[in-house]
Amino acid sequence: MKNILNFLIEVGKLKRMPRKGWVLRGIKNPETIAAHTFRMAIMSWLLGKEKKLNINKVIKMSLIHDLCEVYAGDTTPYDNKFFSKNKKQWREITKKWPRFSKKEKEKNFQRKYKKENKALKKLLLNLPPALKGEIRNLWIDYEKGSTKEGKFVHQLDRVENLLQALEYWKKDKQFAIKPWWIQIEELVDDPILLKFMKALDKNFHKKETKEKIKDKTCGTSQRSRKNL
Amino acid sequence: MTKQKKFYLTKEGLEKIKKEYKDLRDLKFLKTKGEMPKIWHSEDLNPEYLSFQEDLSFLETRIAELEYIFKNSELIKTPSKEKQNIINLGAQVIVGVDDQTDEFEIVGTLEANPAIGKISNESPVGKILLGHKVGDEVVVSSPIMTIYKIKKIKYNIS
Repeated sequence: MKNILNFLIEVGKLKRMPRKGWVLRGIKNPETIAAHTFRMAIMSWLLGKEKKLNINKVIKMSLIHDLCEVYAGDTTPYDNKFFSKNKKQWREITKKWPRFSKKEKEKNFQRKYKKENKALKKLLLNLPPALKGEIRNLWIDYEKGSTKEGKFVHQLDRVENLLQALEYWKKDKQFAIKPWWIQIEELVDDPILLKFMKALDKNFHKKETKEKIKDKTCGTSQRSRKNL
Repeated sequence: MTKQKKFYLTKEGLEKIKKEYKDLRDLKFLKTKGEMPKIWHSEDLNPEYLSFQEDLSFLETRIAELEYIFKNSELIKTPSKEKQNIINLGAQVIVGVDDQTDEFEIVGTLEANPAIGKISNESPVGKILLGHKVGDEVVVSSPIMTIYKIKKIKYNIS
């Protein structure tokens, strides 16, 4: 039991670790890694059920997908060639989705995989073998998208990011939302998640356009009344 | 699985799936005999160990799923020379986007991994690139407009 307790104490650190992507964009009180995991687990349950996936597996996979970040930290696509020590430049840099050559992508992918794999091994070291094996296999499946559940949760991770980004954008229109949509249009191909993205578009963008039109209409009618 | 779906695979992708199928069939045999498989210490996913913890019905579901894939799979082949100037499955494409350059390979959903540049032909961007030539500008506009300018197309299918 002591080993499980130690593991849980380490995992608890994720409740206090802000997500780097939001820090780079200057978000105040940014969402933590654990908070992202929480909503992702709920999403994998609700949306995975619609897709008739193994719910037990997708929820577990969502819960463990970022555990390695206890030691590896949060990685963003801006970390390699775009990263600047000058905090003032961070917000500017993150306005564009970073692009890489095929070679660079493979190198970045391998580097991240190695770092996170090492961190996960360290975190799981003293867990009972069956649990250790299950968590490692779920993580590898998630990272490589080997099964339909792994593929689904991998894409879902980005969709949850998009939802959070839209919530930040709704509060502050200076927040650059374009890179979030760009990456997701290249990454997601799951029909249920594409349907969910349409719902996000309708809720955050089209609703906003409607509200603006409504405001303008109200303005016009008020002016019209004044004229009368 | 009522609607027939086509799975486009490279030769390498098909071989990988065939291996998983064989492993799962072997595991099902062991499981029905009540034998425990050894825990692998491989860096790769260990479907044997993973599946062993699941109910037999899940194992059978995955086997059925793979059989469905075999039945509906189609190998991605290099198009004829005169069609190699058009983006199709298996194409490696260099695009200009937002003043930057990016490189994609268009693959079927089972082999897609955007982190290494392999994008699915069923993703909004993968889908819209298909059928275009060098010099074309492709617009993805839902909900924010992005223009992909096609700079180079090549095929390197084994």
